[in-house]
Amino acid sequence: MSYEKHSPMPLSELELIRQAQRGDERAFTRLVSHYESLVYGFAFKVCRDKELASETWQDTFVNVYRKLHQFDGRSKFTTWLYTIVVNNCRMKRRKSKLEVASVSIEAPGGFHDTRGTDDEGRGAQTTIPPWKETPLDAVMHSELKGVLDSAIQKLPMDYRIVFILRDVEGLSAEETGRILKLSVPAVKSRLRRARVFLRERLNPYMTT
Amino acid sequence: MRTKTLKCSSVLDHICNELDTKISSRKCQEIRRHLARCPNCTAYLDSLKKTIRLYATYPHPHVPAKNRKKLLAVLKLSE
Repeated sequence: MSYEKHSPMPLSELELIRQAQRGDERAFTRLVSHYESLVYGFAFKVCRDKELASETWQDTFVNVYRKLHQFDGRSKFTTWLYTIVVNNCRMKRRKSKLEVASVSIEAPGGFHDTRGTDDEGRGAQTTIPPWKETPLDAVMHSELKGVLDSAIQKLPMDYRIVFILRDVEGLSAEETGRILKLSVPAVKSRLRRARVFLRERLNPYMTT
Repeated sequence: MRTKTLKCSSVLDHICNELDTKISSRKCQEIRRHLARCPNCTAYLDSLKKTIRLYATYPHPHVPAKNRKKLLAVLKLSE
């Protein structure tokens, strides 16, 4: 489904929301059609499970139906929608075992200045092996697919959601902060830790 | 003139935060100079970018057809 996630809402779309707010059922089902892929895709990326993604999808649209009158149009509709999905993902986590396997992320890896370089390149010594190029179609039929799933499932939920909103869905730090009620520095801090965490877990599979 | 020495850890802290922004500040120019001469930081930055690309391009499944029917039934709406 082609969907422009981050463009301003066209007037017709706002009108569709207004119609749905006035109780027009057809307008509501059209809204579902328009956003169902966004909601399901995001829920799947967070849960990594089709069944949980479907449950989150349904809970989200039930919430949208019941709370649509609360949307005042001052924020983007997608920001409001992502907020609802995030809340449902968090509730699912509490009810299920989504985060049982998560590990601490407080001290992420990386490399240290055991033999760093200055701006003149002094002391240069390659200790970080370069990563191989991996075309996507190869990823989808390889062991790496499982590695990608496993790595992100180990990432604590709050970090996972920041990583997905920023790096996968392409939202700004400001919008991500509004959705998660976090400051921009807090979003950046979590994003940095999430990126390093995932990079460390993929590293063994990408350097051989 | 001798340039200020930048440590790799400082470079990586910065590039992790600003991976997707334009680097134009003075600090960023120093980092760009460092990256041009440091194979470790260059390899690390490349691996971070590849990590993001792998997740960003990982396709998600389509919405199951039964979902909509179930939702409409729950809300007592017609198609």
